[in-house]
Formats: sequence, structure tokens, C-alpha cells
Amino acid sequence: MTLSRSPSPHPGGGWSSPGLIPASGTVSPNGPSPGALSPGTPGSISWAAAKAKSDEVRGYPSFSTRNNGFFSRQRHKLSTRFPTFRRLSPREYVDKDDYGREWKRSGSGRGLLGALRIPIRRGRLRLLFALFLVWIGYLFCWTTIVQAYRRSPIGGGSKFVIILGSNVEGGVMEWKGAREWAIERNSIWNKKRYVKKWGYELELANLLAKKRYSHEWRESWEKGDVIREAMRKYPDAEWFWWLDLNTWVMEYDTSLQHHLFNDLESHVYRDITAYNPLNITHPLPEFWLDELGRSLEGDGKADSLNMLLTQDCAGFNLGSFFLRRSVWTDRLLDIWWDPVMYEQMHMDWEHKEQDALEYIYQSQPWVRSSVGFLPQRSINAFPPGACGDGDNPVIHYQQNAHDLIVNMAGCMFGRDCWSEIYYYRELSNWLGRSRWERFTDSLSDVYDRMMGKERDD
Amino acid sequence: MQFALPPRRSPHPLPLSRSSRMPSYRRKQLKSVAVLAFAVLSIIYLLHYLYSSSSTSVVAPASTSGVVIITLLDRQRYSENYLKKIVANREDYAKRHGYTNFFASVSDYDEVVGDAPMSWAVAPATRHAMATHTRSAYFFYLAPNALIMNPTKSLKSHILEKGRLEDLMLKDVPVVPPDSIIKTFAHQQEADVDLIITQDSEDLNPGGFILKNGEFARFFLDVWFDPLYRNYNFAKAETHGLDHIMQWHPTVLARTALVPQRILSSYSSDSPGASLDGTYKDGDLVIQFHGCDDAEGRDCARELEPYYKQWEKKTQSD
Repeated sequence: MTLSRSPSPHPGGGWSSPGLIPASGTVSPNGPSPGALSPGTPGSISWAAAKAKSDEVRGYPSFSTRNNGFFSRQRHKLSTRFPTFRRLSPREYVDKDDYGREWKRSGSGRGLLGALRIPIRRGRLRLLFALFLVWIGYLFCWTTIVQAYRRSPIGGGSKFVIILGSNVEGGVMEWKGAREWAIERNSIWNKKRYVKKWGYELELANLLAKKRYSHEWRESWEKGDVIREAMRKYPDAEWFWWLDLNTWVMEYDTSLQHHLFNDLESHVYRDITAYNPLNITHPLPEFWLDELGRSLEGDGKADSLNMLLTQDCAGFNLGSFFLRRSVWTDRLLDIWWDPVMYEQMHMDWEHKEQDALEYIYQSQPWVRSSVGFLPQRSINAFPPGACGDGDNPVIHYQQNAHDLIVNMAGCMFGRDCWSEIYYYRELSNWLGRSRWERFTDSLSDVYDRMMGKERDD
Repeated sequence: MQFALPPRRSPHPLPLSRSSRMPSYRRKQLKSVAVLAFAVLSIIYLLHYLYSSSSTSVVAPASTSGVVIITLLDRQRYSENYLKKIVANREDYAKRHGYTNFFASVSDYDEVVGDAPMSWAVAPATRHAMATHTRSAYFFYLAPNALIMNPTKSLKSHILEKGRLEDLMLKDVPVVPPDSIIKTFAHQQEADVDLIITQDSEDLNPGGFILKNGEFARFFLDVWFDPLYRNYNFAKAETHGLDHIMQWHPTVLARTALVPQRILSSYSSDSPGASLDGTYKDGDLVIQFHGCDDAEGRDCARELEPYYKQWEKKTQSD
């Protein structure tokens, strides 16, 4: 009621004349309501100060205990340094009314408020407060912010889609046991974690046994269809990374950009003679082909690379490969499966699209210049048991080199997929320990050793 | 009421308008910096543009507009005399319009084609022509059993001119007549077309087609010439191979325009199987003696003779 009118200059352009307080005249002197004691009005200041003084003169027994809190102590110190401060606090008066109940709260509250009110301290405290907020924000939101950045077009994460072939032949052909479910669950969890960290997209391809993909009906191969669907679903993505279900991402901290795509040319070899288990003739000798068709290295530009894959000991391996959205890729996906070729070759093409791709690569020159090969371990390391039991540094996973991916290729033929996946899951966790975990691990290691020694003694 | 009058402009200059008081040398500096920045940015943009456009690889350079006429000379099938006439016919046409001729002998591709019928040589021959004339924009393949009858008609005005193809294209038409369930795209644009071809009453007709230089051409020819097609024993060899590709692979079909048969390959009245209104009429660009070389009781040289004389008369009168 008393402050219903704004004390600031009136919107009509008027100003308060000196000596004429806007509130003057509206406040009745005999109505000592706390609201009327606004600290801005010089008239009330002296009054409040006087009240406060009398407050202290009365000498409550709580005087000594009042300044126990940090803030109140600070405030006390300050207030002794700035005597005018006490005049500025109107609360003293209010507290007096029901002192017995409220003194504690009001004491600390006053301290905080008071501290904020001091011009010099205000800046620093605000800074401290802001820093505190930033710290809290860092603790709680930093990963979210980083992930949001990585997902954004600037971060470039949305350019990559991982397509994980899951539920292989599920539904009809096979009865899934606990192990199969565990593989499925773990593999998906693994890719999800990696994708979340770097802001990529994950597309779970359900490779359910469908009539159209059964032998008599074969209309195409699943992989091609699934990739095409993913390309439609993620129109902004550029690279599509096919991963078989039996793969494990070992290094969550390695981004694809850093691992490959920032400097693609240096990682890729296009001259297949560098590693050529299939003995493919390269470059093509045909006199009627143009230079590009006969070239050893294609056009040599990273831009023209539309497919990245690896070769294992037996030739092309499509357990883990990249396709880039491009006209070339559309054509490849279109030509990959063809009824006339399928009719002639389905007995020989045991590995379906993999064999077909090998064939197309050999027989159709247009394909070669856009296919880049990666060293196998860069995206497709094998565990021992695949391509020989030995420890071939070209093929098999190297723990010390921190290879990105392990592909349990062929584990369903006489090996144990689940135990392999389990092993690499644990290995990956162990390799990716945080510093603190490493520290505690080494401590317990030392401890164990000492205990062991004691026992030995 | 407060806004009844527009706010009056203050007679005093606002203290905020500091820019007017900016020293002139500073302004000049700023200006030059801005100009420099603009220049640098535009250069970067230009370079980027050039770089990215060059990365689209073997698409024919924009400046070239040359046409290469490809003719496959099969010396086993045709007499030397016959082929001489065909060569003369092509050379005259090329000379008139500034086109380039590419004559290839079928025997050159013996080894490549292998056991398959030699008519498959059309694919490697076209690829060969593209490799030889990398800067030409269009490749016009014309079978040796065809004669150019209207030498004054240039390919450009006849088909390649902008907007012309839009009128000629057959849209939403069965790819393989008469009733293939695969039809040419109804929404096809002239700009998307890389291959122009005709069909007769039964199949696509690879006896006369125009292929635009570029990645599609390489892709298309390589697919067409795939060994598994060649060895499949298609009854009509490369013709059926082409039918098959067109119907099964939309990336090929999407860049193909079907035009009425008389645009590129009218059949002579002796040749069976012409499409509706596909038989040669005076004034057509090309006459094709389709099947004259392998049907019994037909003789290409004899069929050619009257039309060749007609053509000679025309060239002399010009």
C-alpha cells in the first residue's frame, strides 16, 4: 500500500524534486510497519539505526553466540570496519519482535545478505559464487555439453552412422540361447557407449530371416538393403560403418575422425598389390580403358574414396567396412546383387555380398578407383583363432597398439563367440581404466605382492 | 495519447554516435582491413569451389562439346566394299558438323570378349573411344548396319539442344516393349540424362545410342560388359544384357532417356520388328538394316545400295 507508487522518475517525464521524497506524505509516522522502513529513504535510516542501537544497548544474552557462523563473523568484522553499515540494516528491528524463535536464522541470513551488500566484497564473492556454479556445472553437465557439441554439425559426429547387424537369422532359423542373447546385449551396449561418447548415430539392423532373403526368393542381400535404408533415415550422415554383431569396440576414447577421417589418405592404400591374398590383377592392363581405369592408385584424392574395407588372410572382409554417401555408392549398392549373377554364382558365393564384391571389384573397372583398403587392424583386428592361431601382427589384435576394433570373425564355426566377446569386453575395460583405477590397481598389486612375499617367506 | 505525436528528434547529437568522431586514418585502416578480409575470403571460397568441383573427377570439362562417332568395323561379317561406304558416310557427316570419328575393328577386342558373341565388342569399343577422346562430351555409337541418311541434321539441333530432349523423351513407358512392368521414370529431367537410346518392338536397340562422357558412362559400360552377363548366353547377347540391366538397376534407368525410334535408328522396311512408327521415312537421320547380317535371305550390301545412292545424291546436291 505504501509503495504502490514507484519512487523512480515518472514515465510522464517528471522527476522528483530535491527534498521531496516520493514516499513522503504517504507513510504515516505512527505506523511502524517493517515495509515502510525502506533503506533507500534517508529519513528512515536514522530511525532504523537508532532502533538498532537501542537493540544492542538492551544487551541480549545471545550477543556472544550470535556471531558463531562464518558469515556472521565476517559480517561482524566488516561491520566494525564500516560503521555506517549497521545503519543500513533494517532487519535488526524486525528480528526483535520474535527474537526467541528466529534469532539463529536471521543471524546467518543477515550475514549473507550483508556481505553481499558491501560494494568491495560483492565482486569477489560473486566471482566465487560464479566459479562455484561453473564447477558444479562442470561436474554435472560437462559431458552432456561435450556430447552435444560432438553431435552437432561443428563437432561432426552426426556425419557417422554405425550400422550394427543384429538378430542374425533370428526368428526362424535359430533358437536363441542365453549366450546368444548375452552377445546381442553386450555388443549393442558396447556400440551404444561408443556412439554416445562421440555423438555418432547407431542403427540397429534387424537381420531377421525374411522370406525375400531366403534362397529361393533371394531378392537381394540384407546388407545392401539395410545400408540403403540407413542412408534414407539419416540424410545428414556421410559415412556409414557396417559392423557385424560379433565385434567389440575396444577403445572408447578413439574417435573415428582422429583415427581415420582427419587424414584419410595417409591411412588408406588403393593399390591392392600391397596386400593381395586373392591375387587380383592390378592395375588392369586393358588397352581400351582410360587412364583412371588402368591407374594403380585411382585418382589419388581422398574425396573419391567411397568405400573403405580391410582384407584378411582370405580376401575382402565385410565384417567392418565404411561406405560414404555418394552416387558411386548408390550404384554399387544397386549393382551388388543382380539376379543373373546370383543365378550363376550362388553356389560359389558362399559369403554372399563379400564374394560378390570381390567379383565386382575384379570385373568392373569403375569400382576400383573409389575403393580404399585399410590395414586390417585399423578397423577389423582378428582374435587368435581367426586366420590362424598365431600372433600375426598384420591380422591379430595387438593389445599394446590399442587397436580400435576386434572382430570375432568366424567364431560361430567351432569357436565360442560368447567367451571371446566376454574376454575382449573385460580386456577393453581393463585397458580403459581411469587414472584413479590404475592407481588403486597398482596399489593393490603392490599390496598383493608384499602379501605374497610375506607368505613366501 | 502518449503516442499521438511522433517522438521529437533531439536537437543535440547523441553522445553515443562516436563513430563520427573516429579519426579518418582509423577509418581508412578499418576499410582496408575489411577489403583485405573480403578479398581473402573470396579467394578462399573460390579455391574451395574450384577444388571441390575438380574433385568430382572425370565429368567432361564444361568447355568441350565435341561429339565422337563410334563405328565398329567387323571385317568378318561385312565386305570391304560395304565398309568403305559406311566409313565414307561417317566421315562426311563428321566433317560437316566438326565431329570426330572413332573407327575400331572388332578383332581388336577378340581377346576381351572371349567366347561370347562379338557383338559384345560395342561396350569396350565405346570405352576405348572415351579413353582416346577424354575431352569430348558425347559419344554417338552407330552400328555398322546403319547409314546416316540426313547429313545436314546435326546431332545438336536434332537431339542435344537444350530443351529438345525434354520434348522427345518417352516417360512412363515400358522399358522393354511391349509390357515390361518396369517403366521409364515419369519425372525424369533432361539434365539427368546420360544415355539416349531407342527401342524397337521387342527390345532396346543398342545399334544407335548417345552416351555422355562422365562417371555414369564408365559405370554403365563396365556393368554392361560384365563377364557374367557375357557368359549368360542371352539369346540376343548384348541387346538382352542391356534389357536386363535397364530393368533391374534403377541407377542406370534413372539416367537413361528413351526416344522414339525414328530419332536415332529407323528400321529399313526390310527389317522386321520396328516399333510403331519406327520404319524409315524420308528425312530421318539414320536408317538401320537391322538383322541384315544374320537373318537368312538378307544381304546387307544389297539392302544398302539404293539408300547409299540416295545419300550420295543428297551430299552432292549440297
